[in-house]
Amino acid sequence: MNEHDTAGAVSRKSAFRRLIRYMKPHKKALAGAFTMLIIATAGDVLGPILAKVFIDDYLTPRVFDPLKLIVLIVSFILLYVIAALMHYFQLISFQKIALKIIQQLRVDVFGKVQHLGLAFFDQTPGGSLVSRITNDTEAIKDLYVSVLSTFVQSMTLLAGIFIGMFILDVKLALICLIIFPIIFILMQVYRRFSSKIYMRTRQKLSQLNAKLNESLQGMNIIQAMRQENRLRKEFGAINQQHFSAMMKSIRLNSLMLRPAVYALYLLVLMITLSFFGIQSFGAVIEVGVLYAFVNYLDQLFEPVNSMMMQLSRFQQALVSAVRVFELLDDKRQAPMKEGDGTPSIDKGMVEFQNVSFSYDGKTDILKNISFTAKPGETVALVGHTGSGKSSIINLLMRFYPIDRGKITIDGAPLQSFHDEELRRKVGLVLQDPFLFVGDVKSNIRLNHDYITDEQVIKAAEFVQADSFIEKLPRKYGEPIGERGAAMSSGQRQLLSFARTMALNPKILVLDEATASVDTETEEAIQEALQNMRKGRTTIAIAHRLSTIQDADHILVLHKGEIVERGTHQDLLELRGLYHKMYMLQKGDDLNHHLTLATRSGGAS
Amino acid sequence: MRIFLDLWWFFKQEKWKYLIGIIFLMCSSLVSMLPPYVVGVIVDAIRDRQLTPSILGKWVIILAAAGVVSYTAGFIWRQMIFGSSVRLARLLRDRLFHHFTKMSPSFYHKRRIGDLMAHSTNDILAVQDAAGEGILTLIDSITMGAMVAVSMITLVSWKLTLIALIPMPFLAWATSYYASLLHQRFHKAQAAFSELNDKVQENIAGVRVIKAFGQEQAQKDLFRKQSADVVTKNIAVAKADALFDPTIIFIVGMCYLLSLSFGAVFVVHGSMTLGELTSFTLYLGQLIWPMLAFGLLFNIVERGRASYNRIDKLLKIKPDIVDRKEVLDRVPRGHVSFNIQQLVYPEHTIPVLKDIQFSLAQGQTLGVVGKTGSGKTTLLKLMIREFDCEDGDIQIGGVSIYNVKLSKLREAIGYVPQDHFLFSATIAENIAFARPEASIADIERAAKLANIHDDILEFKDGYQTVVGERGVTLSGGQKQRISIARALLMNPDILILDDSLSAVDAHTEEAILRALKANRDNKTTLISAHRLSAVQHADLILVLEEGRIIERGTHDTLMANDHWYASMFRRQQLESLVEEGGAYS
Repeated sequence: MNEHDTAGAVSRKSAFRRLIRYMKPHKKALAGAFTMLIIATAGDVLGPILAKVFIDDYLTPRVFDPLKLIVLIVSFILLYVIAALMHYFQLISFQKIALKIIQQLRVDVFGKVQHLGLAFFDQTPGGSLVSRITNDTEAIKDLYVSVLSTFVQSMTLLAGIFIGMFILDVKLALICLIIFPIIFILMQVYRRFSSKIYMRTRQKLSQLNAKLNESLQGMNIIQAMRQENRLRKEFGAINQQHFSAMMKSIRLNSLMLRPAVYALYLLVLMITLSFFGIQSFGAVIEVGVLYAFVNYLDQLFEPVNSMMMQLSRFQQALVSAVRVFELLDDKRQAPMKEGDGTPSIDKGMVEFQNVSFSYDGKTDILKNISFTAKPGETVALVGHTGSGKSSIINLLMRFYPIDRGKITIDGAPLQSFHDEELRRKVGLVLQDPFLFVGDVKSNIRLNHDYITDEQVIKAAEFVQADSFIEKLPRKYGEPIGERGAAMSSGQRQLLSFARTMALNPKILVLDEATASVDTETEEAIQEALQNMRKGRTTIAIAHRLSTIQDADHILVLHKGEIVERGTHQDLLELRGLYHKMYMLQKGDDLNHHLTLATRSGGAS
Repeated sequence: MRIFLDLWWFFKQEKWKYLIGIIFLMCSSLVSMLPPYVVGVIVDAIRDRQLTPSILGKWVIILAAAGVVSYTAGFIWRQMIFGSSVRLARLLRDRLFHHFTKMSPSFYHKRRIGDLMAHSTNDILAVQDAAGEGILTLIDSITMGAMVAVSMITLVSWKLTLIALIPMPFLAWATSYYASLLHQRFHKAQAAFSELNDKVQENIAGVRVIKAFGQEQAQKDLFRKQSADVVTKNIAVAKADALFDPTIIFIVGMCYLLSLSFGAVFVVHGSMTLGELTSFTLYLGQLIWPMLAFGLLFNIVERGRASYNRIDKLLKIKPDIVDRKEVLDRVPRGHVSFNIQQLVYPEHTIPVLKDIQFSLAQGQTLGVVGKTGSGKTTLLKLMIREFDCEDGDIQIGGVSIYNVKLSKLREAIGYVPQDHFLFSATIAENIAFARPEASIADIERAAKLANIHDDILEFKDGYQTVVGERGVTLSGGQKQRISIARALLMNPDILILDDSLSAVDAHTEEAILRALKANRDNKTTLISAHRLSAVQHADLILVLEEGRIIERGTHDTLMANDHWYASMFRRQQLESLVEEGGAYS
């Protein structure tokens, strides 16, 4: 069903062509593997011919020259040793090449995703994106590793066997060629039916798993609403459909795969025997030729079986390939450096000039925002959820392209900076301190190799994270699991501070955490924030107004507009929104006062 | 081989299918003995210049007949044996699902859904393989192996058979060894792949940090390294996989060599004809599969047994929330009274609820408030028996909920959980979840009560809009209101709203509460909430802290008390004022 959604941009044909193009860099290795395959196949083919020589030239006329016989035996053994070795190595080489191609494709897709803009991530569910990078490429792996490899192997063997047959008897070999159209038709018919049934089985299986997964997740609802029986029935129905699809596939496979191919073998055997038999009525024929021929026939049909079994996989791989290439073709790139010149950030002056912004092109999230943060100043953004604070930061971090208005740093437009310069000089501290799997040190340093161990420790000391790190059993080497689950949120916060400070940025962008942490860590965090802001231009989203009382400018946002601006004192005197927020946060000890404020504020 | 004993019940149940399958399998093996013999006869006839058109015609017709028989037999045994194995998979899947529906939340708390899924997919597949491929390899390796050997001995020569077969056991051993090697390495490759998957997941989840710190290139390098590890592990798989073909080629080649050399000696001595030698080498080719099958058999049954054990263990877990003995088979109704001394979770010592006593006349509304983790949800869940309380009782209309049939109890209660889970189905189907037969009018009435009707009409497909992963994304508030509508459609005597209004704005909350009041005449409602406005009009409000009631009363008495409730209420009033922009809205 997904194929219909996506079939628009990339066709299966062009997906296949692009998959083939991925083989190009491996031309030499492919040639090597192919050579080995040909040698190995030649070995397979030569065996029966040697046996024929033995039967016709030695056994039948009863000529036994010991020396020649030994040569024959030794070459027979050698032939099989070489064939076995060559087969082993060619199999591995083909697999290696296939795996490397997939590795390249995976790295390409992953790399592509790294440079897509946040707009893309907003619109694409994370789960399906992960699935594109891993599961779909895994399905394509099947194409190279199983399908293409089997086809190359089998075709080569078929060709080899036919060459052997032609060497033995041209006329009979020509007659045997009729199996090709038969096999071709069989394959075509099988492919047509099987791809449908295969899709259906897969579809039913995924429905079955989806149903199960969903039922397990919503089991409390199912039980609370007494729908166990209905769900059992529904699950049973899908289970039954999956069963019928499986049975159909078994039926098709037993009609058209091995039993059919075996019947074909018997047919060709009958033709061969008749051919030799009828010839023998008139003339003496070499029995060895017949022996070798029959032996070839024995080998001829296994490759046919193998190829047919891969056919349904081929379709699946192409569907995945279409999805992967569509992702590779996505145009929603992250904003990049534009224009010439390499401005640098030395002072840290940030200016917003009439910036308006919309995520969806319809509703403006920011309206005409202008402010200036001089070097070393702190600008605090306050406002309730959805007021546009985070969008200001998203634009300053160049996560989204600017629609209207202008943002400059040290006088140069934001677009003109190199990524490295921007990322190094503008340090972001996120609300949700995201930790990577690794250890403490690697989470502070990230992958900036130029940051020394001393700098890591210094950064940790600077934000006072060292006191808890030193208490960890393995200190800076303490492993961190998925999302840093073993750490408290305060500790995670301090680590993310240290991460930013290790870069020693000129401009600090703070997205203060809303989650409350224990008081002890809270104090450490506040002190760390104070220290971090010293000497740096800071743009801060503050939820706790107490932390930004000393800010040079406080901007109060409401519905994307700046409704109040000034210092703490100015705003309190204004007795507007900021004043109310401040009162609210002063806490329970001011309850009485609050009651008054509520009344005078005029509740809705 | 224990798996075959474990599955004996199934084989017995499907005995005719398996019997017929095995007979036809053996039949098709038997027929495949024929062609080599025919080739031998004709070779000899040609060599002796004895072949006549009628002899040739006879054998060709016999071959054709063999073809028809083998095709038919091959078709039938596959239907029977593979078909049965798929039937077993269906059966086990249904059983597991049935079992899952009987398990209580405590079962799900202890297990990850991913693991349960794995049992229902991979483990069942492994058992299916044992019942299909396992039987096939068992029968084929024994009967076909024996048939080929017997044909070789009786039709050709027992001496040559003994000599030529010397390398064959090695093939069985090698196959078995390779298959287990392959399986191990495959596991490692799978593990590496799932690590890669985790890596990608982390990357996507942390996209902001990665961009903010300019980590794109570093992430790419890490990914390259990790995917190279996947490649390495897969190459190890390929190396094990690549062992099969060459080994077969070599061993079979050696068998050919032995039979040709020694066969030649017999031919020269006159104890064997050239045709017999030709048949013999063809028989050799037919011995490859039984030997392979023998090697594969061990792996298949080994895996099948481990998987079957896991499934069986799961099926043997007894559900812990069940009907007690001699329960009433009627829907309870009337006033609700809680009398709980304490509730302690299994394997815990600190009680989550302690000394909870209150009663609620029919038609009254209860409000439960308190900090996160104070026991609000647990209290409400006791009512629908997600947990059972040993130390205390809950009564509806004077009857203990433990003395009523579980399904009747749940019939009385409409429950809206905190985590508003919707199914991937249409909105109408979701609302009608408890009463699939409900009319559109009923569904719309419930949606209107829950204040979601207008939202639904704004979707392109209205009530037929599909929600969930494959459908539209709903906001938290919309999901909450749909799950409220879902409970309201039951028109239950008792409605439980477990913090179910947290994601809707104050006005909507008010509208919903008003609608509930107007339409639920003489029906009981239990509401827990963070936002106190949701319980403001309740007849009884309980404030919980660490599982105990610290305050109780109506809104007015609690405000007069001027304790936790009152201060929280004032605080939230101001908060909502700020959210609305104070003077600027």
